[in-house]
Amino acid sequence: MKKIRFAILSFAHVHAWSYARVLRQLTEAELVAIYDDDLERLKRAAELYGVKDTYADYRQLLKRNDVDAVIIASENAKHAELTIASAEAGKHIIVEKPLATTLEDAERMLKAVEKAGVKLQQAFVMRYHDATVAVKRMLDDGAAGKILAITTTNHGKFPGLWFDDPKLAGGGAVMDHTVHTTDLMRWYTGDEVEEVYASIGRNIRSVLRSEDCALISLKFRSGVIGSVDCSWSRHDSWPIWGDVYLAVFGTEGYIVVDAFRSCINLVSNGRPLTWHYFGPDADTNMIKDFVRAVLEDGQPRATGLDGYKALEVAIAAYESDRKNVPVKLPLR
Amino acid sequence: MGGLGVAVIGCGFISGVHLRAWKKIPDVKLLAVVDVIEGKAKKAAQDFDVPHRFTDYHKVLDMKDVEIVDICTPTYTHAEIAIAAAKNGKHVLVEKPIALKLREADEMIEAARKAGVKFMVAHCLRWWPEYVEAKQLVENGAIGEPRIARAYRHSSFPEWTFWHKDRRLSGGVFVDMSIHDVDYLRWVLGEVEEVYARGGVLKTPDSTSHDYTHAILKFRDGAIAYVEGSWIQPVGFPFSTYLEIVGTKGMLTVDSQSPASLRIYKPNMPPAIYTHFEEDAYDKEIRHFYECVSEDREPAVTGEEARKTLEVVLAAVKSVDSGRPVRLPLEGEVI
Repeated sequence: MKKIRFAILSFAHVHAWSYARVLRQLTEAELVAIYDDDLERLKRAAELYGVKDTYADYRQLLKRNDVDAVIIASENAKHAELTIASAEAGKHIIVEKPLATTLEDAERMLKAVEKAGVKLQQAFVMRYHDATVAVKRMLDDGAAGKILAITTTNHGKFPGLWFDDPKLAGGGAVMDHTVHTTDLMRWYTGDEVEEVYASIGRNIRSVLRSEDCALISLKFRSGVIGSVDCSWSRHDSWPIWGDVYLAVFGTEGYIVVDAFRSCINLVSNGRPLTWHYFGPDADTNMIKDFVRAVLEDGQPRATGLDGYKALEVAIAAYESDRKNVPVKLPLR
Repeated sequence: MGGLGVAVIGCGFISGVHLRAWKKIPDVKLLAVVDVIEGKAKKAAQDFDVPHRFTDYHKVLDMKDVEIVDICTPTYTHAEIAIAAAKNGKHVLVEKPIALKLREADEMIEAARKAGVKFMVAHCLRWWPEYVEAKQLVENGAIGEPRIARAYRHSSFPEWTFWHKDRRLSGGVFVDMSIHDVDYLRWVLGEVEEVYARGGVLKTPDSTSHDYTHAILKFRDGAIAYVEGSWIQPVGFPFSTYLEIVGTKGMLTVDSQSPASLRIYKPNMPPAIYTHFEEDAYDKEIRHFYECVSEDREPAVTGEEARKTLEVVLAAVKSVDSGRPVRLPLEGEVI
């Protein structure tokens, strides 16, 4: 069986560490090289995952013919440069969300990928969680009838690092947390967002350089109503990192997904209570799907275009808050 | 000392809850019930052992020994009955929403002021044990400064009346039901400055009332809240509420579907869920008003308070209709 040989470009995003773990476990994939512009972090990752080939210059890495695919998990603002270079080097790409920090960058990325004929998967891991996948199947089978409205939340603790630095992240909690559930709503409805209204604030952590919360109201072209409550509002001692919650109101039914709400409460060795998560490993499912798409020359479940559409909603949310008006899509 | 005489006008669902509460106050004299449907008045009179029953509310306004009138009629009749009662010197308790128009609310407030009677609007969350406890926690600094809130209120369509489906008579889901959450959030977070809302008649074809609305509220000090009201749940859906308040130092949630101290299951029945065992919220609310009248105190939810809450839910309706954010105060009527 052919193995797909991966490189990881940057461990700046926390998810990179999970992807590296997955690559080491999969029989159909191999992690052969890593790059990081933070040398200390590069060394740490190399030691942790036993990777011998490390690069402080991604251009050198991309010259290798034995690398089939890259996972880009840099700071958001660097996605465009790394994605375009990888595409031009003929590598298939998984890029962390959000796709980019501007729609201009996002467009350039999609063009480069198209020109090179490589696969681009937007890392929307929530399309690979067993619960959200089950909902997709149920909705397609008509279990809730016609979708009327979807309410979503994506709350989290503050991830720290560069996430509140607008220059590197492109924003704050809105950039970080709008796209996952927006993507799920697009996936479930098969529809595009037509209008965005948002109220954005720095309400919980006044020391941050960016916003930490937003309430977003959406209208889809078909009239479906959506909402996103995205924030870094979970305090450090909350029993889990955060949530991905969706309530789907249909003509024939009502479905609630609380994807990370575990039924096991755990107090272990004097640490505070946690909701012990033991559910599906969405990261593994996602990378397996990407490998399949590369091997079979198919499409991954979430493409660059899906990344673009979700990013557009986040960008529109900022514009709506700035002008205090509902904003129509498409923006470009 | 003889107790005060009470008449309850309207013998629908909430009326039964009020009548039960009035019966629990030892010195109350429950004198009359009124309903335009004679059978309903008759049944209420029998069930609660009330001596007089009428189909015309004016009859109780003429009864000298009736000192308190409790209005449990459909929303669109509140103003007329409350104003007439106040003019006849009766103390007035009226169910929420106070009215459907700000002008009507103003007239009700003015009539009560002129007559020098007590006037209260029955916003029951102000006595709901979990919600009162949550407010206490916030006030005691348990979560720091409260900054972001979420509140849901979900049910299937209220099919038991004709008037919920008529927007001019009920105001729709946000006015009729989400008004609870809006009143509570105002109580905890202060005054609302601006409202953006989205909704419509999504599922109920013969309804002019919006059956789903979500709103983003901006409060004067910058706090924000998401409030969602749904009448589009599947038939048989257990009425559900959820409250979340996030503060600078912590957060709290109150979920009506989460574990409770006591749950009782019977065949083919929704479970009876008990989270507290002291006096019921409605009992507290009715007793509070009774004490305000007998001890000459200002009730907890004055007409002015209820009017402010009404203004916010009407702003949400206006925002749904116009597709624009709506700033308070409102100018002109909405429904």
